[in-house]
Amino acid sequence: MIKHEDIQAYIHTIPPSPVVLKKVLDWLDKGELTKAASEAAEDGALKLYLQNIVNKPIYGFKNDIKAVGQIFGVLGLAQAEQIIYNYMISLLAPARWELFTLSTKEFSQIQDNLGVMWKRILEHKQIKEKEIYSAISLLPAAIIVCEALFKSKKEEVSLLRSAKEIDYNTILKRLSGMDLFDLCAQIAAAWEMPEIISTIVLCSKGTNEETNEDIVELSKWMHLLFFYQLSQPSAVEAGLNDFIAFNIDYVEDIYEEFQEVVIDECAQ
Amino acid sequence: MRAVVKNGIGVFHPQGFLDGTTAPALLTIEDVKATQSLNINMILLSLKKVVFFNKNGLDIFVKLLESLHERSGIIVGLCDYDEKKYASIQKFYSVDMNFSLFRTEKIASLFAPSMQESTQKKSILVWHEDPSQRSSLAIELFDRGHTPVMCQSESEFLQKKGQADLYEEIIFNTYLGQLGSKIATRVTGNAIIYTIADFLDAQIVRSFDMTYHTSSLNVGFTLFIFDAYKVVSMNVHGLNFFSKLSTAAAEFGANICIVGMSFQKTPANFKTELEDAGLIFFENMDDILKDKELLKELGGSGGATKNTKRALTKVLVNELPRFINATVNTMEMMTNSKAEKQEVKVDLLRIAQTKDKVASSIGFYGELNGLVILVFPITIAKKACELLLGEKTDNIEDILDTLAEFVNIIAGRVKSLLGEHNIRVDITLPRTYEHIEDLLSTVDARKGVQVNLGFENESFTFFLTR
Repeated sequence: MIKHEDIQAYIHTIPPSPVVLKKVLDWLDKGELTKAASEAAEDGALKLYLQNIVNKPIYGFKNDIKAVGQIFGVLGLAQAEQIIYNYMISLLAPARWELFTLSTKEFSQIQDNLGVMWKRILEHKQIKEKEIYSAISLLPAAIIVCEALFKSKKEEVSLLRSAKEIDYNTILKRLSGMDLFDLCAQIAAAWEMPEIISTIVLCSKGTNEETNEDIVELSKWMHLLFFYQLSQPSAVEAGLNDFIAFNIDYVEDIYEEFQEVVIDECAQ
Repeated sequence: MRAVVKNGIGVFHPQGFLDGTTAPALLTIEDVKATQSLNINMILLSLKKVVFFNKNGLDIFVKLLESLHERSGIIVGLCDYDEKKYASIQKFYSVDMNFSLFRTEKIASLFAPSMQESTQKKSILVWHEDPSQRSSLAIELFDRGHTPVMCQSESEFLQKKGQADLYEEIIFNTYLGQLGSKIATRVTGNAIIYTIADFLDAQIVRSFDMTYHTSSLNVGFTLFIFDAYKVVSMNVHGLNFFSKLSTAAAEFGANICIVGMSFQKTPANFKTELEDAGLIFFENMDDILKDKELLKELGGSGGATKNTKRALTKVLVNELPRFINATVNTMEMMTNSKAEKQEVKVDLLRIAQTKDKVASSIGFYGELNGLVILVFPITIAKKACELLLGEKTDNIEDILDTLAEFVNIIAGRVKSLLGEHNIRVDITLPRTYEHIEDLLSTVDARKGVQVNLGFENESFTFFLTR
C-alpha cells in the first residue's frame, strides 16, 4: 500500500524554505522584531496571512491591526516566530483536501487553536524559549503528511479499519518503518528548524524513548493538547479524531493540571 | 465515526474528550444505522481512549444506543473502562440503566448472542456486589456454553482473583442491562449450538436469528444442536418452526438435533412428528459431543459430506474479475507486495500440497450466492497478520483469527464492489481452517473457479464456488 520508496518520493517533494521566511526567522532569532517585520512586509502573501491571523478573535486583540510592525509588536518574539512557522507549514497544505474533510480555513483554525493553547501551557510552565513556542507549529504537519500519503488509499484504509482498530500512523509505521512524526521531523530538518522542535514533536507521539525529563514532560502536554484539539467537533467532522492513536496512559499524570490550565481557562 | 466490526459486534472507538459539544460529532444516527446494516447483534462504545467524559457527552451515546436497542433488540453497552470511569458511569446512571457495561471488549464478546467457543476452555470467574446481577451474569454465561464460577463474597472473589491463570476470564465491574431477545448461539468445533428455554411458541421465530442460521448453512456447517434442557413446553408454532428448519437443512445435507428436551408438558406426538421430519433427539449434550464417531456421522467433526452438487452460475462467473481484484488488492495491501496471477481453472478445489497451509472462507448471499475460499501458505498468512497484529507471530490462534478478519475485509470489499453494480449481498461470518483436509471435505464435490496467485515466490489460492 505504502512503501519506503513512496515516503522517499514524498520527502523529495518538500520544497526548500522560502528565502523571505528564512530572513524573517533569522531576524527574529537575533531578537530584531522591527527588521523581521520590514522583511515580512515585503512578501504580500505573508503580510495578508499575518493580518488575517492576528485579527481573529482567538488572539483577543481589541483593535484591528494592519501594519506588520505592529503585528509583530503585539505578538512578541516567541509568538511571532510561532506564527511564521505556522505559515511555513500551511504552505505544504493541499489546496483541496481529500482524505480529511478540511478547508484551508479549518486547517488554519487548528493551527491557531494549538498555538494559542500551547502558549498558555508554556506560560503556566514558565517556559520562555521561543523555539519551544514554535514546536507546536510542526505538529499539524502530521495531518498534511497523512493527507498526502493516504488520500489515494482512502478506500483500502477504510476497509482495513472496519475490521481492526488501527490508525493511519500505525499503518504507516508497520508498512514502512516510518511514521507521520518521523516525516514531520524530516520536514523540520529540510527547513532547518531548531532541533528541539522535532525532538519535542517526535516525543509527543507518546512512544518515544526520550530520556530528557523536561522534553518528556512537554511532549505529554503536547500529546494531550493535540487530542483535546482533535476532539473538537470540527476536527471530529473532518475525520481527524482517530487518525493517530491517543496514548491515554502517557498523559495520565498531567491530566488534572491540563484541565485547569487549558479546559477550565477555555470555558471562562 | 465508523465502527470496527468483528464476529457480529460493532465497536466505536472515540478518542480524547467526550462532552455535550463533541459527542454529537463523534457518533451520529447515520453511523449507528451504517453499523446496524452489517448484521451485527451487539454495539458497544469503547472508552479505552477517552480521557474525559461527562454525563452530557455520555447521554448522547446512551440515548442513541438505547433507541437502537428498543428498535432492533441489539445488545448495546459501554466497554473498556477502568475503575474510575466505571464508578462515574454508575453515578451518572444509578437508576434505570438499560444498557450493559463490560469491563473489556473480550468480556462483552462472552455475552454476544453468537460466539466461537474457545478451544482451550477454562472456567470464568464472576463477581458483582449485587446478588441478582451476579446470578444474571452466571446464567447468561452458562447459556452460552461457558462454565461460570460465581463468588459469593468479595473476600472469596479477591482470593480467587489471585489465581488468575486458572480462569479464562475474570468478570467484575460488569453490569448486564437489557440483553437482546435473540437466541444464544455458539460455535463449538464444527457444530453450532443454540440455547433455547421456556415456552417454544410463535416468539421463537422472532428470536431465532434465521440470517445467521442460513449463512452458517451456506458456509458449510452441517450440525446444528438445540440445547433444550430449559424448555418447559412447545406448542404448534414451535413444532412448525422446527419442521421448516429441518426441511431447509435437508437441502444442505445438514442435521438438526435437540438435546435434553423433556416432553412432560408437550404432546408426545410432537416428538414423533419432528423425528419424521428428520430431527434427532438426544438426552445429553455429551452423547453427541463426546462421541467422535457419531459426531463425524452428523457432520460436526470437520468437513461435511454432501450429496448436493452446486454449479457455478453465469452471473457469478461474470462477477469473478471483481472478486479476484478485491482479493489481490487486499492481499497486496496487507502484505505490501505485488501479486502475480499464475493459473485460472474451473474444477474441483485442488491443493497440491496441504502441509503448512491454512485457509479461510466466507459466504455471501442475497442477489448472488457464493463462497470465497482463500488458501494461504503459512508464511504469507503470517505476513498478512503482521499489519494487523503489529508483530510477528507463530501462534496459530492469532493467525487464524487474523485470517478471519482478512477474509472479512475482502468480503466487505466485494460487497461494496457488487453494490456499485446494484447487486445487493450480505456476507456470512468467516470461517477458518487450520487443516486443509477439513476445508477439502467441506467443499467436497463443489466445482468452482480456482485462481492461483504468486506472492514473493509463494503460491496463494483463491477459490470461488456456490
